Amino acid sequence: MVTIYIDGVGYEVPAGTNLVDVAKFYADNDIPVFCYHPKMAPVGMCRMCLVEMGSVEKDKESGTVLLDEQGSPKIRWMPKMQTACTQTVYDGLAIRTNTQQVTEAREDIVEFLLTSHPLDCPICDKGGECPLQNLTMRHGPGVSVFYFEDKMHLAKHVPLGELIYLDRERCIQCARCIRFSDELAGDDVLAFHERGRALQIVTVSDPPFDSKFSGNTTDICPVGALTTADFRFGARPWELKEVPSIDPYGPEGANISLSTRLDRDSGGGIIIKRVMPRQNEHVNEIWISDKTRFGHHHTRHIDRLVTPLHREKNTLIETTWDKAFKQIIDKLKGATSVGAIAGPGLSNEDLWELRQLVLAVGGSEKSLGIWPATMSGGEVVKQVGIAKGSNFNTMGKGTVIVLVATDLEEEAPIWWLRAKAARDRGATVVVLNGRPTKMDRYAKFSLRHEYGDAVGAINSLTAHIVNGNHHKADRAEGFAELQKALKKVKADDRYAAAAEAIAGADNVVVFCGAEGVTLAQHAELMQACANVLILTGHVGRTNNGLIPVWPGANTQGAIDLGYTAEATAELLQNPPAVLIVAGCNPVGEDIAAANLRNADFVIVTSQFDTATTAIADVVLPQQSFAEREGTFTSGERRVQRFYAAQGVIGESFPDWKIFAQVRHAIDKSTAKVSAGAVMAEITKSVAAYSAMGYKNLAQVERQFPDVGGTDQYYGGTAYQNTGGIGVQWPVSAENAEAKLNVVPVSSEKSKAKGLLVVPTTLLYDRGMLFVRSEIMSLRIPPAHANFSPADAQKLKLQDGDMVEINLEGASLTVQIIVNETIPAGVITLPKCLSDQPGPFAPMVAGSIEKVAQALAATGD
Amino acid sequence: MGLINGLMTTIKHVLQEKATFQYPEVERPVRERYKGRHALKRYDNGMEKCIGCALCAAACPADAIWVEAAENTDDERYSPGERYAKTYEINMLRCIFCGYCEDACPTEAIVLEHEYKLSFTDRRDSIYTKDMLIDPVPPGGQDTPHQVEPHSYDRPIPDMENPK
Repeated sequence: MVTIYIDGVGYEVPAGTNLVDVAKFYADNDIPVFCYHPKMAPVGMCRMCLVEMGSVEKDKESGTVLLDEQGSPKIRWMPKMQTACTQTVYDGLAIRTNTQQVTEAREDIVEFLLTSHPLDCPICDKGGECPLQNLTMRHGPGVSVFYFEDKMHLAKHVPLGELIYLDRERCIQCARCIRFSDELAGDDVLAFHERGRALQIVTVSDPPFDSKFSGNTTDICPVGALTTADFRFGARPWELKEVPSIDPYGPEGANISLSTRLDRDSGGGIIIKRVMPRQNEHVNEIWISDKTRFGHHHTRHIDRLVTPLHREKNTLIETTWDKAFKQIIDKLKGATSVGAIAGPGLSNEDLWELRQLVLAVGGSEKSLGIWPATMSGGEVVKQVGIAKGSNFNTMGKGTVIVLVATDLEEEAPIWWLRAKAARDRGATVVVLNGRPTKMDRYAKFSLRHEYGDAVGAINSLTAHIVNGNHHKADRAEGFAELQKALKKVKADDRYAAAAEAIAGADNVVVFCGAEGVTLAQHAELMQACANVLILTGHVGRTNNGLIPVWPGANTQGAIDLGYTAEATAELLQNPPAVLIVAGCNPVGEDIAAANLRNADFVIVTSQFDTATTAIADVVLPQQSFAEREGTFTSGERRVQRFYAAQGVIGESFPDWKIFAQVRHAIDKSTAKVSAGAVMAEITKSVAAYSAMGYKNLAQVERQFPDVGGTDQYYGGTAYQNTGGIGVQWPVSAENAEAKLNVVPVSSEKSKAKGLLVVPTTLLYDRGMLFVRSEIMSLRIPPAHANFSPADAQKLKLQDGDMVEINLEGASLTVQIIVNETIPAGVITLPKCLSDQPGPFAPMVAGSIEKVAQALAATGD
Repeated sequence: MGLINGLMTTIKHVLQEKATFQYPEVERPVRERYKGRHALKRYDNGMEKCIGCALCAAACPADAIWVEAAENTDDERYSPGERYAKTYEINMLRCIFCGYCEDACPTEAIVLEHEYKLSFTDRRDSIYTKDMLIDPVPPGGQDTPHQVEPHSYDRPIPDMENPK
C-alpha cells in the first residue's frame, strides 16, 4: 500500500494500480475518461482525464515528508496538467481535480469533442446510458464557440459485418473498439483509416468484423457509434428492466443482464430486448461472447411448443397436462426399467427433481445420463478441480496455463479471453492438441500429438516430471504404482521443456477438453491431468487445478447431482422401457443415439420440435431459462442464480415442476412449490451444495474496478452485479491433510485402420436453441468436414466438393474443406451443423463418396 | 322596496347578453393555447415528424404514452431521419393534458390540439393509436411510407423546417 493525496486528502491505495481506478474506488473521485478503459492498457488519447499532478516533497536524508505551515505535506506541482489514466500510483503522488484549471480543461475537451458530434441523442441507442452524454452534462461548458453548421456530416449507417453498425458521425475516435479487438480478443479486425478530421474506423477482415466478441465493442463504446443490429432502435435504455441471468450456453457461467420490456408485436408481453454483460470479476469480468449476446431469440420463437403432445395413431397431437400426466404416471408405475438423459441447459433444480423421480420409480444412479455425453471425470474434479477463490485476473507471471484436447475459443470463449489476458500479463501457455487452434498463436509450447493419443501425451509429461525428479509425492496416494507404470512410458523429448515449465511454475491451471478422445479415453485423460497436477503440487491452492471444458452450461451441476456420461452411453446401448429425455436432442445430434427408438415409452421435455420429440410418446413443453428461476454450476464449480425475466410462453412449465408433480402422484411426496424450495432440499442432501441456499447465492460485493453504477461513463454499459456473484464449492485437495489419488492410465491407442473422423465443437452450431437466432444464421457455417491436403488428394477430392461419409451404419453429407492444419489421416467434423446426426466420438470412417462437384471457381 | 331592488337585479341580467352556451348545440371557442387531444404532425410532403425517440413517454408524468420505434429504409420511409414510431399510443384515460410531451418533443411532432370531446364506452377505446392521432396528409403530400431515392435523407434528425 502507498499513500497518495487527492485534493489534499491522503488515501492508502495498493501500489502499482492505475490512478483513475483508485481515485474512483478509494476516494470516490470520478475522474472523467473517454479513451481509458479499466480493462485495457491506457493510451492517453482523449485528454479528458487531465489533472494537476505533483509529488510530495521529502527530506533528502531522512525521507520524511516535509510539512507546510498548516501541517499538510508540501507538494511540488508539475507546471502543466497530466493525464491521470497513464499514471500508476506511487508513494507521495498528489493530484488536484477540483481547481479552475482542471475544470476548464474538461470543459474544453468536451467542447472540442462535440464540434463534430451530431447530437442526435433522441434517436441514438446509447442515449440515456451514454458516457459522452453523461460527461457533457457534468463537465461540459453548456455553450460552444463553434458554429453548429460547421459540423462534419458522415455516413450514419455503416454495417461492420451483419451484427454491428457503425455511425461515423458519432465516433469520437477513442479506439476502445480497436484496442479491445486487437489486444484482448486477439482479432485484428478493426483499424483506423486516414488521419486528422478524416480519421475513421474501418474493418479490415473478411468477413467483416470477424470476431466472436464483437458485441462487447458496443458496450465499451463511449458514444453510440457502435450499435448492434439485434437491438437497433429496440427501446430506450431507461425503459428497460434489467434482470440478472446466466449464460445458458457455455460452461463459463458468464453473468448476463437481460434487458426486458413490454412489446406490442409480441402480444403485449414482456420480452428480452437485448442481453448485456453483468460484472462478475470472478467469472466473466464484463465480457460476453456473441453467442450469449445474440442467442436469446429462442426464448420467444414462434416455433416454441406451447401445449403437451401425445402420440395417437402414430402422430403427435395436442393434449392437456392432466391427460399427459396420467399417461406418464401409468407408464412409470409399471415400468420395468427407467432411464433419464438430461440436457446441458437444465438447472440444478430440474436435475434434482428428475433424479428424485427416477429413483422413486426404481431407477438407480446408473440410469441418470447427461447430454452431450462426451466428457467424464466428475470424481477427478471433486479432488483437484480449480481451487476455490481462483481468479484469472490474478494470474500472470509464474502461472502456466495448459490446454489439453480443446479448442478453447470455440468451446468456452470467455475462458479463452481470460486465459489470453493472463498470458499477456506474463503467464505461459502450453497447448496440447491434435491440430493448431487460435490459442497456439499465444502458446510458448504448442505440442501436437496424434489424435487419440492425448493420454499418451500427458503421460509423457508425467514421465518427464517424475524422471527429472521434479515431483512431490507427499500427497499422492498410489504413487508407487504410477511410478512403476511410468517406467514403461517412452517419454517423448518434445514434452521435456513443457514438463519443466509446469513443474517449476508457481501456479498451474489445466483446461481439459475432449477433442479426439472417446468417453473411455476421456476418463483416463482427466486422471492423467490430475496426476500431473498432484505430482507437481498444483492442487488445492488458489489459481491451481483442473478446469474441465464441459460441453454445456450446467454439465458440472449434473455431475454433482449424480448424472454421468457413462450412464448415457449405457442408455444409448440398451434403452430402458421408459426413457425421459429432458431438454436435449440426442437423436438429432448423435448417430449413436439412433438406438433410443427402441425404448418402449419416451417422455421428452423440449422447447421445440426436434428429431427426439419425433420418437417421443409424450412431449411436454419446457420453459426456457428466461422464464423461470434456477441455478447453474459453472466449470469452475461456481453455483450462480438466474432469475425469471419474461412471461411464460404457452402452457410450458419448468422441468423441476413437471417432475415434482409426477413424483407427487407416484409416491405422495410433497411437491415443491418454488425453485428456491428445491434448492433448499439440495442443500440438505448434497454435501457440496450445503452453502448454496438462494440467499447466499444472491450475495453481492463491491468489485474492483468499479464498473456500472449510476455514472455509466467508465466501463461503458456493462451492468453492476445486483443478482449475486455465486458461491464456489471447495475441492478435497483444499484440505491440506487429504491424500489425493494418482492412478496409472494406459495410453493405448485404437488399432483400427482408416481415416479417423474427429468430431470438433464450434461455437456457432445448429443446436436446437441457438439456431433460432436468425441474426446469427450467417455466422453458422454450412455442414462441412476438414480434410488434410494429402487425404483430399488421395481421395481425388477438392475444396468445396460434397461428400457422403459413411460411419458405422449412418451416413452424413457434408461439404469438404481442404485445410492444411489438419494432420494426414484425420477428418475433423464439426458437431451439430447438419440436419443429419453426426458422430460425437472419434471413429474410423467407412467409405467416402463424392456426391457433388465443387462449383467451378469464378473466371474459369 | 327590497322586493323591487331584487327584481331590478333580475331584470338587469335578463337584458344582458347571455353568459351560458347551449352546449352541445353551441360550442365555445377555446383559447389558442388550450391543451386538448394530441395530434401527430406531418411535414408538407406527408412525412411524419415523429422520430420515435420516446422522449414524450419519458416526460409523461402519467405514463400514458407508449412508443415502439423501428428503422426507416429508403424503400419504406415514414420520417426523414433514421428512426420512426412503429407504434404510437396514448391512453386518454391516463393523460392529464399537462403538455410535457409537447415540451419534450425534439421535432415538434406532438401538439396538444383543441379537440376535447373524448368519450368512450370501453376502457380499451381510450387507447388512441397512431392512425387516430396522426394528422391527415396535407394537400400535395403523400401518405407514408414513401419510397425515396437513396441518400435523399441522411440526417439523423431533420432540421426543423420542412425538408426540401
